[in-house]
Amino acid sequence: MTVTAKTDSSQPSPKKVRQIDETTLGITWTDGHESVYSVKMLREKCPCANCIDEWTGEKRIKPGMIPDSIRPKNIKSVGLYAIQFYWSDGHDTGLYPHELLRKLCECEECKKARAASGKN
Amino acid sequence: MSDQQLQGKVIEALKTVKDPDLHKDIVSLGFVKNMKVEKGSVSFDVELTTPACPVKEQLKTECETKVRAIDGVSSVSVNMTAVVRSTEHSQPILTGVKNIIAVASGKGGVGKSTVAANLAIALKLSGAKVGLMDADVYGPSIPQMLGIPISPPKGGPDNKFFPHEKYGMKVVSAAFLTKQGQPLMLRGPMLGGIIQQFLQNVEWGELDYLVIDLPPGTGDVQLTLTQRAPLSGAVVVTTPQEVSLIDADKGVKMFQQVKVPLLGVVENMSYFVCDGCGKKHYIFKSGGGKALADRFSIPFLGEVPLIGEVVEGGDSGVPVLIGHPESPASLAYKSLAGQVAAQLSINQAKEDKPETSFELAWKS
Repeated sequence: MTVTAKTDSSQPSPKKVRQIDETTLGITWTDGHESVYSVKMLREKCPCANCIDEWTGEKRIKPGMIPDSIRPKNIKSVGLYAIQFYWSDGHDTGLYPHELLRKLCECEECKKARAASGKN
Repeated sequence: MSDQQLQGKVIEALKTVKDPDLHKDIVSLGFVKNMKVEKGSVSFDVELTTPACPVKEQLKTECETKVRAIDGVSSVSVNMTAVVRSTEHSQPILTGVKNIIAVASGKGGVGKSTVAANLAIALKLSGAKVGLMDADVYGPSIPQMLGIPISPPKGGPDNKFFPHEKYGMKVVSAAFLTKQGQPLMLRGPMLGGIIQQFLQNVEWGELDYLVIDLPPGTGDVQLTLTQRAPLSGAVVVTTPQEVSLIDADKGVKMFQQVKVPLLGVVENMSYFVCDGCGKKHYIFKSGGGKALADRFSIPFLGEVPLIGEVVEGGDSGVPVLIGHPESPASLAYKSLAGQVAAQLSINQAKEDKPETSFELAWKS
């Protein structure tokens, strides 16, 4: 048999998810990439229907709305494709697909790549 | 030559026998067990990853031939066994279930339940322990297809309940939760609740394979299952014509988005064999299923013919694999089961697996 079952191989998955320090989350991906995230940024980018209007796409979280003291309390995998955060402000409806987390990566390499492409 | 030296030679010979799906020799894979060599008489077990292995006989013959060819071997006895490997997950549900296979389709009416029921039976007939979950909440048809009368499931302690049993398989269905012929009228959130119960409260016991018959489409039930159940893989059923393929295409994309491994595409009702002329008539066009599989570079698991025995089996509660084991449809289902089992074994043999299930408590 030449073809084998697969998930989309262009889509890496988290291999290890860990807390780096008080405010930083780290993810090691199956393709070897090492991502780092500030937890406040992750809370601000929550993709749930409460935080991003489902119909208009309008962002309901305005700059400055999320306090610096925000922390995740618990982080869980959802199925094989996403991660759910339970935040210290009680919010827990955001499922962050792996694809989104890759886009939000704040490692030096990704930040440079984004700056070069003119985004953020 | 001493028996010990002979054993060394036998192992050398078996190192040249390769599993065609896992691309490694059966000694390195750890399949060879309980070897005994006594005065030139050799016996050993070959423990495969699934009893439904499509190349079981081929491997057995190759082992026998290669060992018999060694000087000093007087007789060979190869015993083929299987222990199904389990898809790794650490979710606290379905802990005794080694592999969970979702059978899905984009469109309704393509014979998804018939494929799911016969896939489950084919796996069971190969010697595996099998469960079948009818998650088609609005149109549960598995009880009819297997000839199980509608009766409430037997309850156990802690809100648990026991599946019905038929043809040696454990079966749950939404149909058992209602009175015969009564429709189940539910809004979305209730659907999730029923599925959650099937996952959490059913005493499945130890299973090698749990086959889940999904409702058609890409809705609540599919989402709940992909989020809550540690699915090992999905099989997408389609019929050959374009109207069915456009929906099957969406089914495949849904599983890609939620990263459930696609085990492949089955084309159902591929052709009708005329009993007068014996010719294959491709009523719904041909080649659609294969084209869909190729487009996504996923395995094409075969064509199931449209024949009366399949329909009759579904309506009478005696599936075609039981009533007509040599029918072309039965052979197609056996081949399907073999390939599905092989794909699962291949996936489990992969290195560099993601962390599929975790929980991290934040320290501050």
